[in-house]
Amino acid sequence: MNKTIYIFASLLWSSFSFANSDFLVESDWVEKNLNNPNVRLIEVSVSAGDYERGHIQGAVNFKWHTDLVDTVSRDIVSKENFQNLLIKSGINQGDTIILYGDKNNWFAAWASWIFDIYGVDNVKLLNGGKTKWQNENKPLTPLATAVSAGNIIIQDPNLSLRARLADVVKVANNESDIALVDIRSPAEYEGKIFAPEGVQELSVRAGHIPGAINVPWGKAVNEDGTIKSVSELKELYASVGIDGSKPIITYCRIGERSSHTWFVLKKILGYDVRNYDGSWTEYGNSVGNPIINLTGTVWGNT
Amino acid sequence: MHHKIQIPPLKNFLGIIIVIIISLWIKAELTSESGLFYLSLWIGLMLGVVLQRSRFCFYCLSRDFIEKKDASGLLGILLSLVIGTIGYHFVFGAFLIEPVKPYLPPNAHISPVSLVLILGSLSFGFGMSIAGSCISAQLYRLGEGLLSAVLSLVGVLIGFIIAYQCWNFFYINFISNSPIIWFPHYLGYGGSIFLQLLLLVLISIFLFFFHRPQNKLISHHWWENRWPTYIGGILVGLIGMIAFLRITPLGVTAELGRVSKLIAGYFEMMPSRLNGLDTLQGCISVVTNLFWSNNGLLISGVVMGSFAAAVFSNDFAIKVPNKNELARTFIGGLFMGFGAMIALGCTIGNLLSGIMTASLSGWVFLLFCFIGFYVGWAFRIKFDI
Repeated sequence: MNKTIYIFASLLWSSFSFANSDFLVESDWVEKNLNNPNVRLIEVSVSAGDYERGHIQGAVNFKWHTDLVDTVSRDIVSKENFQNLLIKSGINQGDTIILYGDKNNWFAAWASWIFDIYGVDNVKLLNGGKTKWQNENKPLTPLATAVSAGNIIIQDPNLSLRARLADVVKVANNESDIALVDIRSPAEYEGKIFAPEGVQELSVRAGHIPGAINVPWGKAVNEDGTIKSVSELKELYASVGIDGSKPIITYCRIGERSSHTWFVLKKILGYDVRNYDGSWTEYGNSVGNPIINLTGTVWGNT
Repeated sequence: MHHKIQIPPLKNFLGIIIVIIISLWIKAELTSESGLFYLSLWIGLMLGVVLQRSRFCFYCLSRDFIEKKDASGLLGILLSLVIGTIGYHFVFGAFLIEPVKPYLPPNAHISPVSLVLILGSLSFGFGMSIAGSCISAQLYRLGEGLLSAVLSLVGVLIGFIIAYQCWNFFYINFISNSPIIWFPHYLGYGGSIFLQLLLLVLISIFLFFFHRPQNKLISHHWWENRWPTYIGGILVGLIGMIAFLRITPLGVTAELGRVSKLIAGYFEMMPSRLNGLDTLQGCISVVTNLFWSNNGLLISGVVMGSFAAAVFSNDFAIKVPNKNELARTFIGGLFMGFGAMIALGCTIGNLLSGIMTASLSGWVFLLFCFIGFYVGWAFRIKFDI
């Protein structure tokens, strides 16, 4: 009897990890594959020095602020620049690409969304990111990785993964039946605050897009930063009405935390999801669009 | 003649014991999230010991040269720049394989070269002379018991606050248009090392030309003798490289800047933004309300390390300042704080780290800080201050 339970439980457990492993890899797997020539590790960083002073051996660096966005106009990185970046980083057609970063892979998730937009397959996130790797005392190195030019060719952007202002305005005006997930903190969602403390990008209005439900991004991860199991995630989102029956749009303040939830909903749960990268800094500053502000905070009213 | 090695009296070890106890207390207080904090403290302790033992004070060593034609101190500083340059370039090669624009090594002290940098360097040098020590020397001399250093540092904080009022004007009209010049961009790493070593050797030859060897008193008690400045220079260069590799280039003004911002905020004297200095980091908050910081622990370590070394070598003596000294050191602090803020660094952050980083801004600071020092030195002689 015990043996049956054990076999059943391990089959169940491995089915969950099997379901995840198309898009998530564990740190032990990465450690074993550091010298695999078909595996390319990419650390997506935002703070100067994070990558340089210690990264996983063999990883190249994408700097979110300059490599993954357009630095002049507000947009995702252009096809040409992204192609050049990948070639310069030594990525070849058919490589398995492993993305990781700190801050629970927020920025690595944005990168995975970009890879998807440009039609690159075999992209996975390191579950738990850099923090878990460090907590497991796995080694890092400050030596930059020398690579020879890669040969990967990317596709034209697949914009069906991307939501724009017009799309969410339709939802706000009840003109389209799409589920909206606001992954910010409850205080931002309810309009109590315009933005978290210390943040420079503000908006002129507080609150959320009408129709959006609030599922802070942190609810999708465990304490150690790993993403929760498929069944836990299904339950979490189903409890607020997100079950994949309707298309979904995720948003946050500037669009990169929401790509973390986009990753969870699209890659782990397999739902139809788009990321609204304009997010609250666009919507909350746009003129003439409806907002729900539960708290009644008024800009400039002292 | 004695042949066995003398050990200093037990009381000389008291400083070391106190510092070890405090360090262990700090270690216990630090949470696990602050991996680099404890390392910062240790780098500070090492730096404090080296600065104190080798009397590594930019003002004092410059004065030795001008007044006594003793260039050994300045040569020690140049040696630290030589060692640091080589060490930094080794680290560059690990961090950034090809020094191609627009890429820069992380956290490197490469400032825009502008009239503001020149003004800041002059102000700093002048202030250093009036106060009697640069900021890092105030820290290590505080560890030696020089109480007036406290007032000097207060002056530095206020100097920062004055600088904040001018910052946006300077940034918009001068700094934002000014170039950042990192030698490896133009010369590669090899060319950059060659240029810097060439300049340092030329300056050394110039100094040697005027140098007159001095008779120095040597004590029988080996623990009382200052380390020659060239030893200090080598060690400062090495410590600088270690700091850059592990944490960030050496500097002693980051924490003072942070504290001055808190004070200015409290008195509502803080501009709502400092253009060019506020960083946009996406979802990561720029405000750190933590009590501890890397630089705070570094400068605490400098004071503590110096204290331990001073007690060990009988250099520790509480010196109570008189009114004139207080006024002088405070006013000097004002000029230093103002200059360090607008120049984005002092003799450690801009001169030492900037030159080690092969940034033109470091050399500009070196030149104009020396001019400012000279004006201040002459001023003091003329008015008998």
